[in-house]
Amino acid sequence: MTKPDHLNNDLLIRAIDDELPESEMIRVELHLADCEQCRRAYNELRSLTLDLESFLATIPAQHSPAERAAFEARLEVPPLVPVPRVRQWQPVAWGLALAASLTFGVFVAPHVWRSSKSPAVRAPEAQSNAFEVAGELFSPLPYSNPDLPIGAPHIVRMQVPVSSLSDAGIVFEPVSNQTLTADSSVLADVLLGMDGQPLGVHVLGVE
Amino acid sequence: MDPADILALPRATLEAEYLEDVSLRRLVLEHYDQEQIPLRRYLAFLGLDDDTARELVQESFLKLHEHLLAGGDRRNLRAWLYRVAHNLARNAQSVAHVSKTDPLPDVLSSKAASIEDELLERERLERLRNALGQLSAAQRECLALRAQGFKYREIADVLNISVSTVGENIQRGLERLKELV
Repeated sequence: MTKPDHLNNDLLIRAIDDELPESEMIRVELHLADCEQCRRAYNELRSLTLDLESFLATIPAQHSPAERAAFEARLEVPPLVPVPRVRQWQPVAWGLALAASLTFGVFVAPHVWRSSKSPAVRAPEAQSNAFEVAGELFSPLPYSNPDLPIGAPHIVRMQVPVSSLSDAGIVFEPVSNQTLTADSSVLADVLLGMDGQPLGVHVLGVE
Repeated sequence: MDPADILALPRATLEAEYLEDVSLRRLVLEHYDQEQIPLRRYLAFLGLDDDTARELVQESFLKLHEHLLAGGDRRNLRAWLYRVAHNLARNAQSVAHVSKTDPLPDVLSSKAASIEDELLERERLERLRNALGQLSAAQRECLALRAQGFKYREIADVLNISVSTVGENIQRGLERLKELV
């Protein structure tokens, strides 16, 4: 075989790296089987390649289980119980409802209440997933973080807009031809979670 | 509809999201277990000290987690990881004003059969280390990624260069090493 027929380094290296099309690879293999000079060049490049792999593999990089544990801790840890991801406006709406209701309760309700006599609606039955705090049954609201403890409960008695309760899935059954409108309110105990968000509600009914 | 049903609907969705989070976290940890040592070696090869390499590797895996949480492409996460780590390393080096001819890291000799073999092995690796210092940064990077088992297309992706440039760097780098070693 004459010199111009020898394989160049580019072909040899790509053959080592398995970067040649199959037809080209067969041509290189056939040539190497017959050409001592190219086989030597191939082996030198192959040996250098293995040395480089050894070089990389012998760079010191110790790793301890404590380091892995530290990394694991840095990953965002999802809660064991999923946290409700509420729509942004819901807690705000509840906050506004609380503020409005407190105002209503202090300044307006004492005057209106005395004149209100006939019940328009029946308070909803206690839900199957209701929970008890301070001897009172509360229907859960999906606004507060359920992972937070319920210790030191804070219960606020207030007029809560029916629309807010409807958003939480608490509906009222009419018992007369007088129906509640969206801007009506009912008296309820609201249990606040440790994060200040409503955790549960106990509708006391409409007097 | 029963109020409990209304509350149950988002909960089912949340549970699915929760399981997805757990599965992504597990995927990141699997990659971490497989790749963090080779990745640290690659960063050391680029000239970073061990502490910086360790920190950047962790940062790279945290970014991988963010990438997956954001619904990023899951094809060839290994190359994605190296690309992020490579860029973080380059940024760290530019901030620290490290020169391009950083000394390559010392190496440990591999398990040789005898003391004589070990000495020969160490000498060979030392010659290679010195020869690598004579190459351009681009040639060294291509050869290092090749030694980590990446294909040319992946190396191009990691270094953000063309596949033909990868081929040229590898060829010229190896030819130069052959002369020097």
